[in-house]
Amino acid sequence: MKKFIIVFSCILFLMGAMLGSASAADTIKVGIVLPLTGKLAKFGEIENKSFLMAVDEINAAGGVNGKKIELIIEDTTGKPDVGRSAIEKLITQDKVPVIGGGYSSSVTWATIAVAQQNKVPFLVNTGSADKITEQGWEYIFRLNPPVSEYPGGFASFVKEVATDLKTVAILHENSLFGQKGSKKFVKQAQSLGMKVLMKEGYEAGAIDFKPLLVKVKSKKPDLVYMISYIMDASLLMRQAKELNFNPKLFVGGAAGFTLPEFHKNAGKAAEYVFSATLWTPSVPYPGAKEYYDKFVAKYNTPTEYHGAEAYAAMYVLADALKRAKSLTPKDIRDALAATDMMTVFGPVKFISYGKKTQQNKLPTFLVQWNNGKLETVWPKSIATKPYVYPVPKWNER
Amino acid sequence: MEVFLQTLVAGILKGGLYSLIGMGMSLIMGVMKIINLAHGQLMMVAMYITFACFHFLGLDPYLGLFIAMPALFLLGCLIQKYTLNPLMEVETILPENQVLMTVGIGMVLTEIARFIFTSDYKSVQTSYSGATFFIGETSFSVALVIAFFIAVLFTLIMFWFLLKTDIGRSIRATAQDKDAALLMGVNAKRITIITFGLGSALVAAAGTLLMPIYYLFPDIGGPFTRKAFVITILGGLGSTVGAIFGGVTLGLAEAFGATYIGMAFDDMIGLIIFILVLLFLPGGFKRLTKI
Repeated sequence: MKKFIIVFSCILFLMGAMLGSASAADTIKVGIVLPLTGKLAKFGEIENKSFLMAVDEINAAGGVNGKKIELIIEDTTGKPDVGRSAIEKLITQDKVPVIGGGYSSSVTWATIAVAQQNKVPFLVNTGSADKITEQGWEYIFRLNPPVSEYPGGFASFVKEVATDLKTVAILHENSLFGQKGSKKFVKQAQSLGMKVLMKEGYEAGAIDFKPLLVKVKSKKPDLVYMISYIMDASLLMRQAKELNFNPKLFVGGAAGFTLPEFHKNAGKAAEYVFSATLWTPSVPYPGAKEYYDKFVAKYNTPTEYHGAEAYAAMYVLADALKRAKSLTPKDIRDALAATDMMTVFGPVKFISYGKKTQQNKLPTFLVQWNNGKLETVWPKSIATKPYVYPVPKWNER
Repeated sequence: MEVFLQTLVAGILKGGLYSLIGMGMSLIMGVMKIINLAHGQLMMVAMYITFACFHFLGLDPYLGLFIAMPALFLLGCLIQKYTLNPLMEVETILPENQVLMTVGIGMVLTEIARFIFTSDYKSVQTSYSGATFFIGETSFSVALVIAFFIAVLFTLIMFWFLLKTDIGRSIRATAQDKDAALLMGVNAKRITIITFGLGSALVAAAGTLLMPIYYLFPDIGGPFTRKAFVITILGGLGSTVGAIFGGVTLGLAEAFGATYIGMAFDDMIGLIIFILVLLFLPGGFKRLTKI
């Protein structure tokens, strides 16, 4: 029996070695961490499809210096602890020289520490809590703007158009993303001369938001600013309509409010809702519209800014791999740091400003639902439709 | 005052649905002495059935009840007959293994749903989904009010069934003392199968009633399993009357917590009550009644 075990393990070992060497020769492994199951699976899927679409295109065009890119996608299930073991597996078992993905701030925060410790570069493309790039960690890069900059486009809109907004109520999902985003928005609102009447978190997935909304309604704010994911967003709007709650403006802070499902689920309650967004198919970047059309043609379902982030991130990774002196994590890191390219998500260049390091800086836009379509309304230069403000009351529509 | 009334209404309406969810689990708990940790997932299956009926056949979600409930009754019976009962027969296997089995069943159901329907969020939009009426300043969601009354109706039918019919009496007898029931000629195995089916059908009703106001994705089961568990403990393990109290208590606690403490503590409030009940009222609300 003992002999058998020894022989067996030898065979296993040899097989493992053979398999390992066979696949290592002609492909470059890139690790991706995304939530493919769990409650964030919807967005994980969009990003997953975009990554795969981008990598197919890159490989079809000859790959990276003749080598094909092989994606190893690990499921984080949207939980920090699972994300941590997923990235550990990528680094120690698959030995990937570079990692992409990173959805949800909480999970990303847990995973980047592992990447930094092991000195493997990690290009975050969605996790948006500010602190992710505020650690001075030289192996962590971020493609998307941090959550505090999401309302940038909205701020200029308030200064120039909606000057009569004096008070604001902030509702946010009780997650790292929601907490950080709302805290930053409090400061932003104050600097815009608005008084913050209340700031309340809620547990994602609630059935009934009415108790919360009644409380907000009784404070009579001019502006309701919400940081919510898609289904909470549609329930919030539907129930606000049910309560006949009419602030001057409903604004969603990115995330859920720009997805087609939001309108599908909220129906009429979605009309005229504003949202800050990082990307729409109408942004003035080369390839943005083409990416959207290709995605719809291939998967027969619409995509949105998360997908664009993932798609752009794959091209940034491929570009860095092309320029890297060798395929060691260290050289890839240096190549990433020197990135200066145009993507469907906008120009990418990792710079340091404020407390942040290796952070890409991008403008944000304001969109509004109008007749079932998401129209870019601000800045005016790229608007697809003029904005509707002030917004008509529910019973006057 | 307006805020208070609106909160009260929200709590009671939600509590009605919670009762329905909790009652199914309590029933199973009472007869089989196991916690069915696939309860929320069974509800998810019912919701997908309702969704599919609506989407492909254009069937109103309330009519979907007549498909989802029998379907889940059948599914529940099959689960009990072919996965849980065989475990009971093996002497060396602890009863806990049945609980583990339900966890596995829950996972399988979730992944099957993901395979068929993908992870996309689905919802059923009917003409009355967003409809409301006002009494004074308080807004009532039409769909929630209908759901509440149907839930009450099902509860009454359930009680009539348990108290007045032969099978109902057998179920109660098995729950009280399985060996004695066996000696009295009750076919306990058949009763467990029927009970699991009934529990599943009840939670199917709750899921279907939620459809017009809520949404659906494969992982929705977990939180509801947790809620059902809390309700079952609140009510006193295995007590159907207790489950009704437990459901309404949880609904009210969540609503008032959301208004006066903070909605961020939604889940925490339920669980704090859960701990308090375990500490000071072990046996749950059943202790306070005689049924």
